Amino acid sequence: MVDFLQALVDGVMLGATYSLLGLGFTLIFGVLRRLNLAFGPTILVGIYAGSHVGLAWPGALWAVVAATVVAAILCGIYVERCSFRALARQAPVVSMISTFAVWMQLQELVSLFEASRTMPYPSPAWLPALTVGPILLRSDALLMWSGATAIMLALFVLLYRTRFGTAVRAVADSSEAATLMGVNVSVIGAAAFLLASTVGGLAGVLIAQSQQQVTPYFGLWATVKGLTAMLLGGAGSLPGAVAGGVILGVVETQTLWHFGGQWRDLASFALLFLVVALSPRARSEPTL
Amino acid sequence: MSDYAVSLLVRIGVEAFVALSAYLLLVIGRISFGQQAFFVIGGYAAGIATALYGAPLAVGIMVGAVAAGVAGALLSAVMAPAGGIYFAAGSLAFGELVRVALLSFHYQVPVGADLTGPAGADGFRGIRALFTGGMSVTTYMLAVSGLLAVTSVVIVLLLSSRWGEAMRMVGEDETASASLGVRVRRVAALTMAGAGALAGLGGGLFVHYVTYIEPGHSDVMLGVHSLAYAFIGGLGTPLGPIIGVALDIGLLESFRFLAGYRMIVFGGLVMGLLVVRPRGLLDEVAVHRLSRLVAWGRR
Repeated sequence: MVDFLQALVDGVMLGATYSLLGLGFTLIFGVLRRLNLAFGPTILVGIYAGSHVGLAWPGALWAVVAATVVAAILCGIYVERCSFRALARQAPVVSMISTFAVWMQLQELVSLFEASRTMPYPSPAWLPALTVGPILLRSDALLMWSGATAIMLALFVLLYRTRFGTAVRAVADSSEAATLMGVNVSVIGAAAFLLASTVGGLAGVLIAQSQQQVTPYFGLWATVKGLTAMLLGGAGSLPGAVAGGVILGVVETQTLWHFGGQWRDLASFALLFLVVALSPRARSEPTL
Repeated sequence: MSDYAVSLLVRIGVEAFVALSAYLLLVIGRISFGQQAFFVIGGYAAGIATALYGAPLAVGIMVGAVAAGVAGALLSAVMAPAGGIYFAAGSLAFGELVRVALLSFHYQVPVGADLTGPAGADGFRGIRALFTGGMSVTTYMLAVSGLLAVTSVVIVLLLSSRWGEAMRMVGEDETASASLGVRVRRVAALTMAGAGALAGLGGGLFVHYVTYIEPGHSDVMLGVHSLAYAFIGGLGTPLGPIIGVALDIGLLESFRFLAGYRMIVFGGLVMGLLVVRPRGLLDEVAVHRLSRLVAWGRR
């Protein structure tokens, strides 16, 4: 029982970052109705930038965070220009293939600047671990959860309590209707993209400080986790992406705890596969 | 012909089969990130047939194609109704499931003095039917090319038949084609089986050339690449994906002097190409113009 609770708590904390990745995916997919495969790789570039800053100025944690987020945003702008704005009139799948081409570029960009395949990422080591009864709350996991929760709250306030957020949700609901109501759809699309990149960069900081290292595989990993979280919650729903991320995190840690590491990925992919096989929405979603 | 040129041509041939399989699914409007799974299933099955049970090379490769085709048909029972992003994600999940499952797939039997067969993460080594059969690599390369040419012709004929018409209708609008009497499920299931068999054929040809296969060959990058090839070469004909593969491998090889910047240059070229020609080099319009040119020449 304690094992189950411990894995549950760990899963919720891990899942919070998956929720962030899922939210980034949902912001782009919901507003533009296009899939951004390069979302993970943009975060990868951010984390590598942060890692290099961390090596150059040890101790300057704020600089690491700033470098990570700024690099992720710059890459996001690049993706938006090349794969979305330039292809706005083409079929959505063309954008998706184009983001894959950007992915190849970003992956190689990272390998140009890396010293070794695995790069260290600083984490705030002074934070204490908490114990609540028999449950241990690791400091990095706690930071991951509280950071992700704070970002999600800010994001939901922005999206549900401001004019800008109303416009974003209006475009996601129906871009034609939003245009008729006087919303500038292309501006909102670019803004949503920027917002998604920021969320992605912050998620990158939280994940990397917990793992304390980063490899070039992070790009693929983040894309798959974000996509899974988004689809688990029903593609396009913001609260759904949060729930999807938490479910994914809990399933992963429970499998890890009860069956061992090699089953962890199997469980998360089996979950994604089951969603496709069973979800009624899968049958009525012809767009891409 | 140098060994290098032969190996390059075999690689192009093998990947062209995977690209064609992704192309067939594009015709029925499905985007797959999972064709690498069928490539690997075909490779393992073909390897087991020849290395473990002593089947002749051609029989082994056919076994691989059939096994992957059956896997495609089975998968279609679950995936055929799914569309758009769900099909893409489901096929991605399937590809990774196959990879993880193969990590714990052990099936070794004694062949001669030592054990041969799939050994989990260590992969499946010693698939030597091509070399013990005494076929030279150049002959093999010609056989792969010939098989690819025959396959392309078959696909062209298929797409210009009533079946191809039904497939394109499903790709355009499932509801409308169902209302016109097209059996959407059946078309999707058969296409998925055919696409699986094509990728499996590529896998069987691949393992016998490199003599080994491992779970890591079920790599998402192979699946996404094979999808991108159709968009580079053109969606108008099955020649498009093959041109895409040849361009990718050919350009990457000729970019060797750019060491370290190859993917940046290549990715930029693909991005630019998609802006200028969003449906690839040989798109439907180009195919139509070319066929009119040929018809005019005949007059």
